[in-house]
Amino acid sequence: MSEKKILTATEQPDTGSALKKSLEMTSADVVFEVRESEIRGRGGAGFPTGIKWNLAGAASGSNKMVICNADEGEPGTFKDRYLIENYALKLLEGMTIAGYAIGSSHGIIYLRAEYPYLIPIIEKAREDLIRENLLGENILGKDFNFDIEIRPGAGAYVCGEETSLIESLEGKRGVPRNKPPYPVNSGYLFRPTVVNNVETFAAVPHIILNGAEWFQDLGIGDCTGTKLFSISGDIENPGVYELPMGSTIGELLEAAGAKDVQAVQVGGASGATITADELERSLSFDDLPPGGSVIVFNSSRDLMDVLENFLEFFVHESCGQCTTCREGNVRLLDAVHLIRNGEISSMEELEPFFQLAEVMKIGSKCGLGQTSPNCFIDIVTRFIDLPDGKGGA
Amino acid sequence: MSRNPQKIVFDAVAKYGSGREAVVQILTEINRELGYIPEESIVAVADAVGVSNAEIYSVISFYSFFSTEPRGRNIIRLCTTISCEMKGSREILETIEAELGIKAGATTPDGRITLETTSCIGLCDQAPAILVNDTPHTRLTPDETRRIIAGLE
Ligand SMILES: Cc1cc2nc3c(=O)[nH]c(=O)nc-3n(C[C@H](O)[C@H](O)[C@H](O)COP(=O)(O)O)c2cc1C
Ligand code: SF4
Repeated sequence: MSEKKILTATEQPDTGSALKKSLEMTSADVVFEVRESEIRGRGGAGFPTGIKWNLAGAASGSNKMVICNADEGEPGTFKDRYLIENYALKLLEGMTIAGYAIGSSHGIIYLRAEYPYLIPIIEKAREDLIRENLLGENILGKDFNFDIEIRPGAGAYVCGEETSLIESLEGKRGVPRNKPPYPVNSGYLFRPTVVNNVETFAAVPHIILNGAEWFQDLGIGDCTGTKLFSISGDIENPGVYELPMGSTIGELLEAAGAKDVQAVQVGGASGATITADELERSLSFDDLPPGGSVIVFNSSRDLMDVLENFLEFFVHESCGQCTTCREGNVRLLDAVHLIRNGEISSMEELEPFFQLAEVMKIGSKCGLGQTSPNCFIDIVTRFIDLPDGKGGA
Repeated sequence: MSRNPQKIVFDAVAKYGSGREAVVQILTEINRELGYIPEESIVAVADAVGVSNAEIYSVISFYSFFSTEPRGRNIIRLCTTISCEMKGSREILETIEAELGIKAGATTPDGRITLETTSCIGLCDQAPAILVNDTPHTRLTPDETRRIIAGLE
């Protein structure tokens, strides 16, 4: 397996070198480079970043905004924390390049309430950059101003969804909006707004310095770039690993030292639960959603405990706006209890719950309710033996 | 000694403005300083921003870090999500509950510590983990946990 660390490499390009290069390009060329790199958002949904920036740059409206999503609430994810702890300068530089690219002078980092100890780190990075004239007014002597403000969240997983994040920044309950309009046209205070994940912004300086083609070549097959994975659970060396996008789950597990694997949860509670027979599957937008979280369960674990834990999480974190999500997750949790105490003993009896899961996917407004049934379906159909009849894989 | 609730609101408005978008920041400030958001400050925020008390209350109720009930001088937030649970968060919870003589969600009678359970706090690689006020404590053992608690004022 190749050792291509970029974002987490010990040797980092000089701070400000990518920004300097960007300011010597036209903003359209910066957007073009990012677009050509085919980098897709690292926050989970995988929307092409260059297209997003292009739309925001072209949108009519003043006071455009660059927002960094540092809400990182998906169970098992901690890569953004790691990036901020170690590479905050790159994050701020990436946001500043985004500001130049779309014509914005105002950035906000929405930092989850559970990370208060990262605030001094970001503040220090900001001050260092201002001192170097890499942030603030007339950056590097050019007619370009950009500053970044930290806004802490207040404890709500759903605020990681970009429109509820914006609602929260506007001082409201963090409830997802209807789309369209999309944030690129009408986001924070109706302004054209780019929302990107911490890792997406942190990759931008590297793309600008080394070029789109270089970035493309880092990935495997059609995938571009490298990706950070947060790995935890039954593993020898839990932590953050950077691998080429498109690597297999087996390669990641090998790097982190996994033994006696029963199941792997990829993409957090809302992701996919796979068996030990599927380690050849790839971490890519075409296969296993590479949001960032990988949790390993060895053969001593009861996956029903895992499912119960995830569903309790969703019941707690649903914003309650959609009936399908608010009530659906409660019902799925009921089903887990019914299976546990033997009141449901066959797949036939579970049928209404699978139908409910489909309704939740269709009828819920945001990714939370659309994806929360995944763990139920995966675990119940592949890992559980029901007394009367087939369960399990 | 904490400032009185109105004064906190007054200062926060001076800092963040009285626009609607300042509400979460103002509430964060009150909640940090007093440990909770008392009724009189809800009224003061509503007045300053020009929305109803109910509107402010609905914002408060949405976020898990905000409380309308007084809480302890220290808040322990214990992660109960899966990676921490697999590494023994239950045992840590039982240790804290036994040590403090309270259940999760409660505050010690002397107002010293509030214990809460929380969703994932992003420290899964160093599980089991807690957040004590603003400070993370990781790879906890029951002994280490008792030591941390003993050190809280
Ligand atoms: C329930 C929910 C939670 C989310 N949480 C996060 C998060 O914590 N961090 C993040 O970057 N994106 C999160 N997202 C995705 C965002 O909506 C959005 O797609 C992302 O911030 C865009 O940035 P990117 O294109 O750079 O990934 C979440 C989505 C949903 C539906
Ligand atoms: S799917 Fe759930 S979290 Fe998302 S908007 Fe609907 S109720 Fe809220």
